[in-house]
Amino acid sequence: MRMYLYNLWSWTIGVRHGWTLAAFIVGGLLLGSLAIWLLMSVPTRYRKPIVIAVTFLGGLVLALEFFIGTPKWHPLTDFLPAYSSVQMVIAAFTLLLGLVNLFVIHGQSISKRSKGWGNSLAFFVAFFAILVAAFVKDYATAKAVSGSAGSVYAIFFLGFLTPLSSTMFSIIAFYIASAAYRAFRIRSMESALMMITASIIMLGLVPAGLYLTAWLPVWLSWLRLENITYWLLSGPNMAVQRAIAFGVAVGALAVGLRIWLSLERGSFFDKQL
Amino acid sequence: MDLLIKLQKIDRRIIYALVVVVLMLPLIFHPAGHPTLVTPEVHDAFDVIDQVPKDKMVILSSAWGPSTEYENGPQTAALMHHMLLKGIRFGIVSWDPQGAQLTYNIGNNLQTELHKQYGVDWVHFGYKVLIEAALRGIGTNLPKTMETDMNGTRLTDLSKLPVMKGIRDSRDIGAVVEISASGTLEGTMTYMTQPNNLPLLYCPTAVMSVEAYRYLDSRQLKGMLNSAVGAAQYETLIGLSSFTTPASVTTWALSTAHIFIIVLILLGNLGYFASKKAARRQGGEANND
Repeated sequence: MRMYLYNLWSWTIGVRHGWTLAAFIVGGLLLGSLAIWLLMSVPTRYRKPIVIAVTFLGGLVLALEFFIGTPKWHPLTDFLPAYSSVQMVIAAFTLLLGLVNLFVIHGQSISKRSKGWGNSLAFFVAFFAILVAAFVKDYATAKAVSGSAGSVYAIFFLGFLTPLSSTMFSIIAFYIASAAYRAFRIRSMESALMMITASIIMLGLVPAGLYLTAWLPVWLSWLRLENITYWLLSGPNMAVQRAIAFGVAVGALAVGLRIWLSLERGSFFDKQL
Repeated sequence: MDLLIKLQKIDRRIIYALVVVVLMLPLIFHPAGHPTLVTPEVHDAFDVIDQVPKDKMVILSSAWGPSTEYENGPQTAALMHHMLLKGIRFGIVSWDPQGAQLTYNIGNNLQTELHKQYGVDWVHFGYKVLIEAALRGIGTNLPKTMETDMNGTRLTDLSKLPVMKGIRDSRDIGAVVEISASGTLEGTMTYMTQPNNLPLLYCPTAVMSVEAYRYLDSRQLKGMLNSAVGAAQYETLIGLSSFTTPASVTTWALSTAHIFIIVLILLGNLGYFASKKAARRQGGEANND
C-alpha cells in the first residue's frame, strides 16, 4: 500500500512536456478550483474545524516523521519530497492571493485616478512585460529556438530587477551615515560605551583598521583593534546573543504549539470564516 | 567655536555626496590588498572544505539576492574558487529566485577562468522554495528532492551530469555551507546538518554575523566567513592575496565608509560639546537636545 501510494505520487509529479503538460496544468487548475469551491460551500460553522484539522495534521506529519522510525525503518521519510511539493503548491496559492490583492489595489487606484496612479500603471506594465518575456523565453528554450526571447527576459530580469534590488538596499548606506552623524551623541556613560564599542568593531573588521594598530609591539598585541574586536564579538556579544536566543526559543516554542493546536486567539483566529 | 557648533548641522545632501565619493574611491582604484590577519573561524572553514573527500559533494545553500550581492557574492566566489582548484565537487541550491542566476553566473565565470566544466565539476540545482521538507529531503534523498538542475536536466541523468555520480543522501555530502542574507541558519541546522551529522559553515552578512558566534562556540558551526571581510580572508588562504577581487575591493570600500562614519560621529559630537559649552557660558541651558 505504501509503495503503491509512493509510486502514484511519483507518477503525478513526474516531468511532462507538450500537450500532456498542458493537460496537467488545466487539470490542476480545475482540481484547485473544485477544492476552493468545495471549501467555500462548506457551512460556516464547519470551516474553522476543517482549518484546525488540516493545520494539526500538517504539523503532525513532520513531528511523526522525526520521532517514528529507526535508521533502517523510516516509514514517512520517503514521503518528504511529496510533502515538500504539497507545501510548494500551497505556497503558490498564497502567492496568487497576494497577486489578486495587488491587482485589486492598483486597479482601484487607476480607475479612481487616485494620487500616484501612474505608479499603479507602472506596476501593471512591469508585471505583464516580464510575464510575457518569461513565457516567451521558456517557450523558446523548450523549442530550442534561437532568437531575442532570452535577451528580452535578461534585460528585464538582470538589467532592471537585479540592479533595482541592489539600489534599494544600498540606499541604507546613505541613511546610516546621516543617522549616525545626527543621532550618535555622547549624552551618558552608556552612549559613550556604545560609541567606543561600535567604533572599535567597525574599524577592527576592515583592513584599514588593521593598519591603525599594526605598529603595536607583540607584547601589546592584545590591544590591536582586530584582537579587541574579536574578543568583543566572541565574548560579551556571544553571551548576550545566547541569552536572547534562549528567550526567543522558549517564546517560539509556545507560539508554535499555540498555532499548531489552534489555540491562538485574536486577529484572524477569532473571526468567522 | 562657531565653526565647531556648525559641525553638528552639516546639510544631509553634503553627507550623501561624501558617501558617494568615499565608496567610489576603492571601486575606481581597485586595491588588491587583502587582510593579513585571518580569524580562527575563517581558518576553520578553510580546513573543513579542504578536507572534504573527493567522493563527496559540498552543498552551497544560497539564500541571498542582489541586495546583498557585494557581501554574499565574494563569499560564494571564494568558496567556489577553492573547491574548483582542489577538485571538490559542489552543488548549489538557491532559495532566492534572483540569487539563483547570480550564483550560476559566479560559477560560470570561475569555471572559464579555471578551465572547469559545468556538470562535471559542479552543478546548480536552481531556485527552490525554502521549506523544511526540502531541507530535510536534501539529507534523505538529494536527487529526488532537487529533481532537476538549473537547466531542467534530471539529476539522475549521469551522462549530462556526471558530477552527481554516487551522490544520493547525507552520506555523500562532505559539508554544507549556508550563504545567507536572512534568518535561514536555524532551519538548515535543525533539519539538514544536525540530524545527518554534517559539518556546517556559515557565510552571513556583517550585521547577521554577531548572532552566529554562539553557534561557533558550541561547535554547531564549524567555521564562518563574516561578510566580504571573511571572504577576503578566505582568499588570502587560497593564495589570492595579491590579486584584485570583488572581496578585496569591497573590504576597502567598507574601510573607507567605516572611517567616514566614525569621523562624522566625532564631528557631530565635537559640535554637540561646543554648543553645550557655549550655552553654559551664556548661562543658559543647551537647547539642542
